[in-house]
Amino acid sequence: MNLYEWEAKKIFQEHGIPVPPSHRITKPEELRKVHLGYPLTLKVQVQSGGRGKAGGIQFAQDLKDGETKAKDLLKMVINGSKTESLLIEPRLKIAREIYLSVTLDRSRGCAIFIASAEGGIEIESSTNVVTMPIPYPYHDYVGRDLAKQIGLTGTLLNKFADLANKLYRLFESKDLELAEINPLIVTDGDEVLALDGKITICDDALGRHKCFAGWQETHMLDLSDREKRSKRAGLNLVELDGNIGILCNGAGLTMATMDLVKAFGGQPGNFLDAGGGSDTEKTLEALEIVHDNPKCDVILVNILGGITACDEVAQALVAFMKRHPERKLVVRLRGNNQDVAEKMLAESGLKLYPELEAAVKQAVEQSKVPAGAGR
Amino acid sequence: MILINKDTKVIVQGATGKMGSAHTKRMIAYGTKVVGGVTPGKGGTKIEGIPVFDTVKEAFQATGATTSVIFVPPFLALDAGSEALDAGAELIVLITEGIPPQDAAKLVAQVKAKGAKLIGPNCPGVITPGECLIGILPGSIFKSGPVGMVSRSGTLTYEIALALTESGLGQSTCVGVGGDPIKGMGYEEALSLFKDDAKTEVIVLIGEIGGTAEEEAAAYIKANVKKPVVAYIAGQTAPPGKRMGHAGAIISGGKGTAQSKIEAFEKAGIKVAKTPSEVAKFVAEASKQVARA
Repeated sequence: MNLYEWEAKKIFQEHGIPVPPSHRITKPEELRKVHLGYPLTLKVQVQSGGRGKAGGIQFAQDLKDGETKAKDLLKMVINGSKTESLLIEPRLKIAREIYLSVTLDRSRGCAIFIASAEGGIEIESSTNVVTMPIPYPYHDYVGRDLAKQIGLTGTLLNKFADLANKLYRLFESKDLELAEINPLIVTDGDEVLALDGKITICDDALGRHKCFAGWQETHMLDLSDREKRSKRAGLNLVELDGNIGILCNGAGLTMATMDLVKAFGGQPGNFLDAGGGSDTEKTLEALEIVHDNPKCDVILVNILGGITACDEVAQALVAFMKRHPERKLVVRLRGNNQDVAEKMLAESGLKLYPELEAAVKQAVEQSKVPAGAGR
Repeated sequence: MILINKDTKVIVQGATGKMGSAHTKRMIAYGTKVVGGVTPGKGGTKIEGIPVFDTVKEAFQATGATTSVIFVPPFLALDAGSEALDAGAELIVLITEGIPPQDAAKLVAQVKAKGAKLIGPNCPGVITPGECLIGILPGSIFKSGPVGMVSRSGTLTYEIALALTESGLGQSTCVGVGGDPIKGMGYEEALSLFKDDAKTEVIVLIGEIGGTAEEEAAAYIKANVKKPVVAYIAGQTAPPGKRMGHAGAIISGGKGTAQSKIEAFEKAGIKVAKTPSEVAKFVAEASKQVARA
């Protein structure tokens, strides 16, 4: 889950990382209560990146200018991400910009520092970048090592090292996926501040951090209703444009099924991975979510039961067909407890497709006849 | 075959939980030598006819096992894995899904320091058909034969194993390394074992979008593996920027696309199948070539 800049900065501050003074507003007229002096920086708060390029950061010379700009900024949508609020800060005089982040490196299997003596950059396309694996357990010398590697000296070396150490400790203690300061600035008064910050918290770790309780609900601004329902039910849904609803268990199988639908000339309406070990209740909710997509003409269910038991899925299918007898379903169901499942579904009259490709072809064919034409 | 065989003795951490007990039963039914379970506080009891111990150390000492399969809840997995390592585990299969990646990284660091092997987390496990099954794979769809398989996806492994088995192509060992971004064994480690395994004639590598593990595997194969390899990549039609179920399956900043992986394999002379059934077709062709050579 990506946090808003204002949340990231609040967390930075709690962990001893200095940030500029700021004020958050949700209405243009609230700017009147901001006493930070002009010129001011107005920054849209979105969960997406690319904010600066999209014009989400503006400067205001006075209150009138600020209110006009705030009005437009609050309506902004950047890469599909809605503006939640504006963060107002004084426009600072910057002597130097630095980049610093901590994240996990999947190839190395450990946490890494990424740093650059040039900040405010797009780190993926920059060449002057140092990547340093972080030893576990952690020691403070690592921060100094990093400062040295990006060429810092004197007081700045020590100040930067201290911030790097604090950022890593924050990253570890809060189970973050990413903690980024871009840019870390040195002001003309030699102050070192996090001018912009990004924090991604790990959804899997939310349950052990009481400080993030309820945050999932407040970070769903950019999700559709069905995506929200999926998140709450622990299902992985990605909305797509076509008319074949896809429900599978396991990410790889769902992707492969989606690829096959396209290869056979069909259009996937969604990707829904019910995950491993889904029971009847969870599978039923998954079916309902796919069913509720108004674009969906047919639902293709492909389950290969390992940790998921086929009879649990069959039970969900029986309940779903009772609720929605008109819905076209193409079902392929194999694996653990397959025999029990087959018996249950034989009684309900649903035809099963043992072969994946045959099932996909059938679903594609069904998607080309109007909905409601029977199963 | 690699990693496990008919003589492999396994203990189950979390054997008395819902998932743990259900799959302990399945593994025993398959013929796996499950010699003990571990649940703190339940030492001295039995589950599915096997003894339960309070600690891994006791379980290993009493049974002579050095392999552990873990079914504990996500926040307990780092501790369970550390316990197994410190008790002398040589192979750990970590099934649990939803482990915070930083915990996985801490476990991986210990595994490397001890020179042990870790499969997972968030994986279906490993099977040497007809001999030993460790994890949650449905045993009935696999059969013994010359094809080695390594995969990041669980259910897709089953799909392709099924296609192979139904085409009369059995498997030496199938390893599901798991879909998490931070994990123990990766493609390279599995490939390094398959390349020297006498029973394995053809290798199937199942990948998916996200990260660069497939590209790295392609380079490794080109430099080190003489046996034929057939690859399959899931997520060819995945939209960028969306996490496709697995924590690791995301195309970000233009990296991790199926296209880039397919190109890397093709450049390394590796055949890439477009559908699961085509995997079986390519493997059959490769097998014939191996037989002729």
